[in-house]
Amino acid sequence: MTDAPAISVAPVLTLNNIKKKYRGREALKGISLQLYPGELLGFFGPNGAGKTTMIRCISGLLKPDSGTITMGLPDDDPANPERIGLVPQNLAVYPDLTVQQNLEIFGRLEGIKGNYLKGRIAEVLEWAALKDRTRSLAKSLSGGMQRRLNIACSILHHPSILLLDEPTVGVDPQSRERIYTMLEQLADEGAAVLITTHQLEEVETRCDRIVVMDHGKIVADGTLSDLVQQTIGQPHRVILRFDRPYPRPIEAFIFDDERTSAVCSLESMKELPQVLAVLKRLDQEPSRIDVRSYGLQDVFLELTGRSLRE
Amino acid sequence: MIRTILRIQYLRLRNNPTELLLVFVMPMIFFSIFAGIFSNGVATGADKKIRVGWISNQPAAAVSELLEFLNSDSSLQCSPLNPNSGNEAVSETKMSALITDAQRSGKFDVIVKLPSELTSPATTESVQMTLVTDGQNPMAIAMVTSIVRSYFAQKQASIVASELMGKQSTHDRSGELADSGIGGYSTWTEDPEQPSRESGFGKVATPLDLYRANQGSDWIQTDPNGVHSINDRPLVPQRWAIPPEKSAESAQFEGVASKEKSIPFSNEAVKIVVENPQAASQENPRIAMYAAGIAVLFLLFSATGNAAALLEEAESGTLDRILVSRASLFQIVGGKWLGILLLGCLQISVMFFWAEIVFRIQLLKHLPGFCVMTFSTAAATASFAMLLATICKSRAQLNAVSVVMILSMSAVGGSMIPRFAMSDRMKDIGRWTFNAWALDGYQKVFWFQSPLSSLQTEVTVLLGSSLLLGLLTLLLSGRWKKGSF
Repeated sequence: MTDAPAISVAPVLTLNNIKKKYRGREALKGISLQLYPGELLGFFGPNGAGKTTMIRCISGLLKPDSGTITMGLPDDDPANPERIGLVPQNLAVYPDLTVQQNLEIFGRLEGIKGNYLKGRIAEVLEWAALKDRTRSLAKSLSGGMQRRLNIACSILHHPSILLLDEPTVGVDPQSRERIYTMLEQLADEGAAVLITTHQLEEVETRCDRIVVMDHGKIVADGTLSDLVQQTIGQPHRVILRFDRPYPRPIEAFIFDDERTSAVCSLESMKELPQVLAVLKRLDQEPSRIDVRSYGLQDVFLELTGRSLRE
Repeated sequence: MIRTILRIQYLRLRNNPTELLLVFVMPMIFFSIFAGIFSNGVATGADKKIRVGWISNQPAAAVSELLEFLNSDSSLQCSPLNPNSGNEAVSETKMSALITDAQRSGKFDVIVKLPSELTSPATTESVQMTLVTDGQNPMAIAMVTSIVRSYFAQKQASIVASELMGKQSTHDRSGELADSGIGGYSTWTEDPEQPSRESGFGKVATPLDLYRANQGSDWIQTDPNGVHSINDRPLVPQRWAIPPEKSAESAQFEGVASKEKSIPFSNEAVKIVVENPQAASQENPRIAMYAAGIAVLFLLFSATGNAAALLEEAESGTLDRILVSRASLFQIVGGKWLGILLLGCLQISVMFFWAEIVFRIQLLKHLPGFCVMTFSTAAATASFAMLLATICKSRAQLNAVSVVMILSMSAVGGSMIPRFAMSDRMKDIGRWTFNAWALDGYQKVFWFQSPLSSLQTEVTVLLGSSLLLGLLTLLLSGRWKKGSF
């Protein structure tokens, strides 16, 4: 995970109350969002939540019905606007071209040419660990390599905003690790990276900030601990269960009505030893002790419910 | 197990509407299209008349008899090349120019150049009839030749009949012969269903009529096959043919015949010359036409195949990536169009160069016209393919639509059946297709060897269509940005 951006940094992308009707239904219902340079933002939501529509709006493929999208920093040159890199969910490369040829093509489409393009291709090949496969046809690459090439084709022009639609679908853990390392490098270099994904673990562990979207709205926005705090409360709990009602109070624990179950919420796991010390002094041995940490899945289910969306 | 495998195939077919369409509906559509095209002789030209253009260096009145005869034939459609014909004599130079223009226009299957000698039927000079053809329709020239020959045969018969009438007093022939007004050398096969020929001069009775009127006479004989001969002339292979030498039996007419040094309009006297002005400089124009027909058909298929890449790119997200880049929608559509155009030009060029090497179609001689037509045709097909790709929602849909459209266009437009064999109605319908305009253009280049300026109409239509369809494609291509595919 990269260091969280300083609050004073101006956003490189600002969405203000974006609304969009798409195919007869309201796909975006007033989205407001800010993306900062060097930030790795995880966009999370059930299928049909409006993530792809939002990415298409940001990338300019769709025009919002209302609201504004502002890109760039206040001191940017208006003649040289912020540049976007888009990594579609599917492998958006030419399978019958080689790795080198694909990079050349997409580099030229971004207006890069000559020695600068050659230099950038060499850098990107190194970055994506595809240096020894330059002459291989894209279709002959492994799934992980193809994914890396897919991303590599979008960063040749040094985009200040990189939009990735589920970039790690169908890749093995090693390739996923490599891809996130690549993205973190980009963020470290100052690019704002927005990722949509269904991989909870990736978002929890890799993203600086998480946005949860449902029914075309942003329902939560912040770091993981912020989200847990906002939706569940304390992120950790120690739960005691007794065979018969416990007669006395236990320090820091709250009993249920039947007094067979008690819960202690922890701000941090550092508090656990103190709780264990309390447990040593119990008169009655609990039948079961659960220590549970709440994560994004709990937040997500809390926010979006458990009913199937598709 | 086989049952399960069969069930898989059945379920896949049932669950795939596009495949169902291709398997069951497509054959019906095709059948209907082709049945519509080919029924009632619409396309085959079974209802088609041979278009005969005529020109004479004499006022029309002088050749009216022959023209009337030609017009009376239901298989011919005669019209003058010179709008002023009938009013003025035409010089040889002007005649040649008119014939060349008419031939290049493709409006006539055969052009009849009427001789001035026709004004004096009893001339002793030989008469030369010139039939000008472009060689496209060999049947047309054969039919017109036979009809013209039959005119002269009947004409000769009428002259001989007149002579017979003059002779009848000498030979004490019956008055019926004089009433019938004709006799002659021709042989006729008895056919009760066939009425007497209504010639332009209207007085020609068949020998059969005479036979019926004079059964038992000693100068009309019937052979075992029912073929009647007059004056015991040997049978001739064609009914209009006139035996060059006189038989012994005809010596009875010596007194009449000897007055003429030759029999007017006999085979020796009437010479029918068939001219193909292009033939001298053509080596294999028909192959060039086939190459053009096939080239346009394949061009349409390859163009739609290439345009389908746009749909593949849209489905894979590559198009999104390109749209987000610095390339504008106009540049993307324009670039694709240009790619299809160049590939199309290259494809046709390769095909024609191959035809040049193997069949010697004289490509280099017609290179400017070929280049102009190839560019125009490729441009039109590129726009057509881009529009189809923009309208269709998936590659499968594009395949189904393009196969139906291209095969129909090719059938109607002349890529499958030569346009010269089509009826005029069919040709008019064909003008709604690129194939027809392209083939007409290539025909002018390779067959008629017309100058570049004559391609103006074809090039205008093809490039105009290309522009129109291209603009329509640009208008509709906004959907790529909306992701509505």
